[in-house]
Amino acid sequence: MRAILNAVKTGFTEIWAHKMRSVLSFLAIAAGSVVFIESFAAIFATYERLEKQKEVSGMARMKISQNYSQTYSSPDEYVPPPVIGYEDVVRLREKMPGFYMVSPEGRDWRNVLEYGEHRLTTSLMGVTPEWVKRDFVYTLRGRFLDWHDVENKLRVCVLVKKAAPPPENTFNKSMMKKYNFTGGFDMLVAHNDMLGKAVNIDGFTFTVIGVLEELPYSKRPNTITGSSQDYKVLAPVTTLFHYNFLGAYQSLDISIDTGSEQNFEESLRKINNFLKIRFGDGDFFIVENQLEMIRERIAASMKSALVTISLGMLAFLAGGIGIMNVTLATVFARTREIGVRRAIGASRRDIMLQFIVEAVMLGLIGGVLGSALGYLWGVPIKVMLGMGGSPIKIWMPLVSVFIAAFTAFVFAIYPAWVAAGLKPADALRAE
Amino acid sequence: MSINCSELTKVYEGGKAGWPALRGVSFEIKMGEFVAVTGPSGCGKSTLLNIIGLLDEPSGGQYSLNGRDVFTLSDLERSCPRRDEIGFVFQSFHLLNRLSSIENVALPLMYAGADRAATCERARLLLRRVGLHGKEKKIPLELSGGERQRVAIARALANSPKLILADEPTGNLDSASSKEIMQMLVGLNAEGITVIMVTHDKELAARAGRNLRMRDGRLE
Repeated sequence: MRAILNAVKTGFTEIWAHKMRSVLSFLAIAAGSVVFIESFAAIFATYERLEKQKEVSGMARMKISQNYSQTYSSPDEYVPPPVIGYEDVVRLREKMPGFYMVSPEGRDWRNVLEYGEHRLTTSLMGVTPEWVKRDFVYTLRGRFLDWHDVENKLRVCVLVKKAAPPPENTFNKSMMKKYNFTGGFDMLVAHNDMLGKAVNIDGFTFTVIGVLEELPYSKRPNTITGSSQDYKVLAPVTTLFHYNFLGAYQSLDISIDTGSEQNFEESLRKINNFLKIRFGDGDFFIVENQLEMIRERIAASMKSALVTISLGMLAFLAGGIGIMNVTLATVFARTREIGVRRAIGASRRDIMLQFIVEAVMLGLIGGVLGSALGYLWGVPIKVMLGMGGSPIKIWMPLVSVFIAAFTAFVFAIYPAWVAAGLKPADALRAE
Repeated sequence: MSINCSELTKVYEGGKAGWPALRGVSFEIKMGEFVAVTGPSGCGKSTLLNIIGLLDEPSGGQYSLNGRDVFTLSDLERSCPRRDEIGFVFQSFHLLNRLSSIENVALPLMYAGADRAATCERARLLLRRVGLHGKEKKIPLELSGGERQRVAIARALANSPKLILADEPTGNLDSASSKEIMQMLVGLNAEGITVIMVTHDKELAARAGRNLRMRDGRLE
């Protein structure tokens, strides 16, 4: 213990005596530390988001959609695949009365909405009242669609009013300007009380029976894709079929909530059976469940985590080689001192300890420096890129500092061993 | 303290056959002796001293220190007698320039594991003994040659050795300082410490109790 304390003291003297050299070594290891903390934080953020997602959406969710990835060996073999129509949804509902939610969704894009002198692009979505059972992130004014609307194919609609966008950054803003084709619609809904008004969509008059207001971003649970989907105008799915907004060739997506996680496997099997009986063999549809999607996402994020971590490791490796270089140089510059110390009684172990302790100190100080740097520079850069601050937990810098010290330790072993192996008489003769 | 050498040889690596520095040296030194090793440059005096001081290993022959065959010992076991029983004084002082004189003197104590207060006290005492009272905080570069060598002697005495090995201790000093240093070594010998000194200087050699004259790696 005393030997280590003495080595630490000598180490401080040496580090102080060679400021430039020490600073360079600090920087080398600090770079590793910065990268490491960043990757740690990024991984942790992804992981937390997925965990939260799991809590919010539950495991009982799944989605049936058309399988677009079917292949045909020649154009002649192509037969139009079967589609899910509203009839199929009704039948599915009848067969599975125990499900909490069976919600069909049919989308139409680029509809023209006219209101007064406004003429705007928007998108329609055909749904049933079951739609509200999905994670409902809106407040409603007026009423939502009901079964009466659906059965009678009424031309009623519910408009979605967007929340104020999250804290903007320049990059996002410019992208929004370029790709947000329905910005006009958002403005219209935001600045006019549309409830009870008649609007004209693609030549058909619809009555606005309700307005859904999005919750502000901070209060909304993140969906699996990171942001909620872009709903604009909701109308009864039957109405959209009736007025040819949706064609007979278009397949509906069905969101299902089985209601309980216990018989999830069972439900999945039932659904697959239903599809097989109704549409025959062939992978015309895919049933995705959220659990699997989450698992896939975790696997994917782990993969990218490994990449980032290995980048951090590489950075540490570079830093470690820097420390090794410095320590070797120190050994050769201080050969005579090693001789002197040996002559007055230092053992090989003492010499080795001294150089290792010195290198570990370089690593420790570099690690602390890097952690501080990683924390400080992480803030402005991330704000500029609009990434939102990654959550840097207290253990991340600790682990990072530990790894920095450990790297230094590992890379100092060889130089220290060289130093300890010097014969005292030879070392004393060195210039 | 007794030193027994028989047929010591030392060959330095390099060249085809190497370069023989010692070609069979046998002698015995008893406790309390003051021995001067003399001879022309390159005759192997320093090599001999390094081997006696456990800084170097002989290529052949036997060497026993206090009846122990030290070159069968491990490095750690050999570091102990080097630290506790032997003190070195070198021609070019070999002080650590970044440390103050008191820290230089304290180094061997530190390696011996003494506690801080005792180390400090002992180092101060030793510096006073060699006449450097008040210069504890000075680094070697602020001291004269004679003073530096006195620091070195204080350091050599740190762990109360029974043997002082001096390799041309006055080689870098003016005649006045040389005299002082020589006086000091003679004084230490009078206290019972065995002194082995390598020197060119016939005058200094004459003050030693016994002279070993070397030539071409052998004793004359």
